[in-house]
Amino acid sequence: MKWPLLDRIGLLLVVAALAVSWDSQATAQTKAASTPAPSPSNFTDRKSLGSKNAPITIEVFSDFQCPACRNFYETTLKQLIDNYVNTGKVYLVHRDFPLDMHPYSHQAARFANAAAELGQFESVERALFDKQDTWAPNGKIDDAISSTIPPAQLKKIHDVETQHLNEINAAIERDRTMGIQRNVNQTPTVYVTAHGKTEGLPGGGVDYQLLKKYLDFLLRQ
Amino acid sequence: MASSTVVSQTSPRPGALPRTLLVLGRVALGSVFLYAAYAKLHFDGAWHLSDYHFFFAMMIDSYHILPLWGVQGMAQVLPWFELALGALLISGLALRWVGAATSGLLLVFIGAMVRAKMLGLEINCGCFGNNEKLGALTILRDSSLLVLALAVAIGAFILEKHKATASS
Repeated sequence: MKWPLLDRIGLLLVVAALAVSWDSQATAQTKAASTPAPSPSNFTDRKSLGSKNAPITIEVFSDFQCPACRNFYETTLKQLIDNYVNTGKVYLVHRDFPLDMHPYSHQAARFANAAAELGQFESVERALFDKQDTWAPNGKIDDAISSTIPPAQLKKIHDVETQHLNEINAAIERDRTMGIQRNVNQTPTVYVTAHGKTEGLPGGGVDYQLLKKYLDFLLRQ
Repeated sequence: MASSTVVSQTSPRPGALPRTLLVLGRVALGSVFLYAAYAKLHFDGAWHLSDYHFFFAMMIDSYHILPLWGVQGMAQVLPWFELALGALLISGLALRWVGAATSGLLLVFIGAMVRAKMLGLEINCGCFGNNEKLGALTILRDSSLLVLALAVAIGAFILEKHKATASS
């Protein structure tokens, strides 16, 4: 059987097109496999500030919609970050403990975790607490924090949130479970680990001056 | 010591039941105070003799009553004061004054708790360690202890007056 030249060229083109199509699919699959979904432990690392090698680790079980957490953030944590975290003395770990009594705290936690995935946890945490009064009554987080987080960045964060929703929910649940295991019954609850020992501080937040004295005592030991 | 010997020889002893109740009351109250002191010095499975005051100061501060220096001073002193009161109550020494001091201390505690509840503060009591949330039951418990402390103090005063009358 003899094929006309044009038929042969056509067949070659079809085969080439199929080959290119198969190759691009394989490349896409390879790319997807090389960028795995973030694991819950990745989220914890990305929600932490400071050096892991700091002599003191402070874990804060917190709820973005809880007024006491905002107060603790504004009056204690900001100074702690400036004076102890940024100077390498404290490794500060955020643990999500969204309370069921707050209707938008899960939403805020998901948003903060997505921001963490983009390396923007610190700025988003600050924005969420600074603007808590604005978004807490209606859950309109974007509107409330758009003055500090640019719209393009908000979109990126929401894209990550949508893309990794299951992983983000798992990370939040993991923090919550850890809190329940440690008998956390209010937010904020703070744990301080130094010299191999972990101590729970009284729940509901701690005055910065008192925390400072305790941290200085630990650092002197 | 001499006067009590005279009392026992020259006047009828006060009823055995009131005396027994007084002993039981002061031992119970003393035990509670000893435990309160112990819980402030020993928690999370270890003694905290060098750093207990940091934790206790944070709890006292959550009541938002005292300035920082007052908070720190009270945190240093109160566990040992409770320990002393507990030991004195159990021993029965200077019972009138110890009972009165215990009543006064409990009155201060209850006042601070009621104020915190009125202000809507969601805090821990700080009475027996870290994790007891301040609630109506806490106030009820301390009020019961106040009644007991007053009973001990009044009972001790009555007993002493009875002794004095009998000896004169």
